[in-house]
Amino acid sequence: MADSIYSKVDEYGFQRGEDFDYRVYGIFMSEYIRTLTRRAQRWNVVFKDNKFKRSGILKRFIRKGIPADLRTICWMTVSGAERLKNESQLNYQLLKLKYSHQVIEVIQIDLPRTFPDNIYFANNEGYSDMLYNILSVFAHQNSEVGYCQGLNYIAGLLLLATKHEMVTFWLLKTLVEEILPKYYIRTMTGLLTDFDVLNEIVQKYEPQIHRHIQNIGMPWAMGTTKWFICIYADVLPTETVLRVWDCLFYEGSKILLRVALALIRIHKEAILQTSDLSELMSVFKNMKNHPRVIDCHGFIRDIFNLSSKLSSNRIEKLRLKHQK
Amino acid sequence: MANRTAQRPNGQTQGKICQFKLVLLGESAVGKSSLVLRFVKGQFHEYQESTIGAAFLTQTICLDDTTVKFEIWDTAGQERYHSLAPMYYRGAQAAIVVYDITNQDTFGRAKTWVKELQRQASPNIVIALAGNKQDLANKRVVEYEEAQSYADENGLLFMETSAKTAMNVNDIFLAIAKKLPKNEQNTGQAGNAQGRRLTEGDTGPKATGNCCK
Repeated sequence: MADSIYSKVDEYGFQRGEDFDYRVYGIFMSEYIRTLTRRAQRWNVVFKDNKFKRSGILKRFIRKGIPADLRTICWMTVSGAERLKNESQLNYQLLKLKYSHQVIEVIQIDLPRTFPDNIYFANNEGYSDMLYNILSVFAHQNSEVGYCQGLNYIAGLLLLATKHEMVTFWLLKTLVEEILPKYYIRTMTGLLTDFDVLNEIVQKYEPQIHRHIQNIGMPWAMGTTKWFICIYADVLPTETVLRVWDCLFYEGSKILLRVALALIRIHKEAILQTSDLSELMSVFKNMKNHPRVIDCHGFIRDIFNLSSKLSSNRIEKLRLKHQK
Repeated sequence: MANRTAQRPNGQTQGKICQFKLVLLGESAVGKSSLVLRFVKGQFHEYQESTIGAAFLTQTICLDDTTVKFEIWDTAGQERYHSLAPMYYRGAQAAIVVYDITNQDTFGRAKTWVKELQRQASPNIVIALAGNKQDLANKRVVEYEEAQSYADENGLLFMETSAKTAMNVNDIFLAIAKKLPKNEQNTGQAGNAQGRRLTEGDTGPKATGNCCK
């Protein structure tokens, strides 16, 4: 087979892994490139003033993917980060000056360990410096959370997608303080709750998988801690993560559970074929390589088709029921 | 290519196969993932991604006539992930508690882990203490003798290791394997799926070095 026309580094600077399937990716991209062009044209027509007011049509458009060049402004608007920034007393630049001398060691240790294979982080100290500032200011202004490992991946990917330090800070703050459950506080209670919520959802919609996973004895935390903590960054292919985040910023954290259920369903056969924990863990570890997961457009369709009953309302009720 | 399983030239499987669950614990950035990467794949990355939750890997080594398969849980080091740790050390037959010889706090944290394991883990768990980053011995703050006497007092295996230079990495796993009881209970578990299981994960050229010698 001829060499792939696709580079070994993706458009966000990530090295494609040794197990990256260029054939599957090529088949997907040949179609997706047309989709991207078509979507960009539609966005330019419908939202030519770049005002992203909540509406049925905006929600539908976001589910089909925000064009890359509109992500920063659209994420800022629909997530409420722009409003938070305007209404808040906090001034990022001032905070940065104030905290720049109060070094947080754990963040410094994690800087070179955040996407070490990404060409932007590896070859450009500017990115590491920006990431340090964002995480450090965030930790200082939110003492309940401080710094939690995992936030480095979220802020890192936000930075790669937006290329903007201050925007990344506000998006991170909005995610942690407004959109996501209490995953990152010291007791991680929001995370423990969502394991139980996921358990109940899988039990209801995929009882066979649920039974199998229970028989093997895998606690959900083993397979899915990183899913929630990193909101799929460094878990799914970059483009798929960004498409998930498009929906997350507009529709809220129920999206995370829909993605979880969709991932589990896509791998139903593989999961049911496992006979021990070791095999089951390897299915969970390799989910990013499934053709349907690489096909981010089809995958996002799945998360809405598969689980139409998982509304925010329903998820919040389940979270209340399993509250820690 | 070295023969990595217990297969002998005549195709007969000799000896027994034991499967053990091993967990790595210790403060953030002491080198837990690096030790596992060195042991399983024979590789080292100067900057190893921080582990979120836990990572799962397997590696098989041979010890006399016994094939020992380690199921390795490499856990996250940050304090707040602590509450998730029991699910990884529960039922574990072995643990490696890792500290960084250039950082006193990480040694204190290692002692806390040892105490917790002695209290909460299986009573027969084999615990090894690894003083990692031995290649940075010129920056050492934790003395070898101090750690050795602590290990002796608590009945722990002890080695200083370097994931970077590979020093004592295979050895510490091997020492654990030697100390683990290879009774019927452990052999039975792996017996039915040995053929397939034993071909996965054992791709590391380094680890084969101490295999079937």
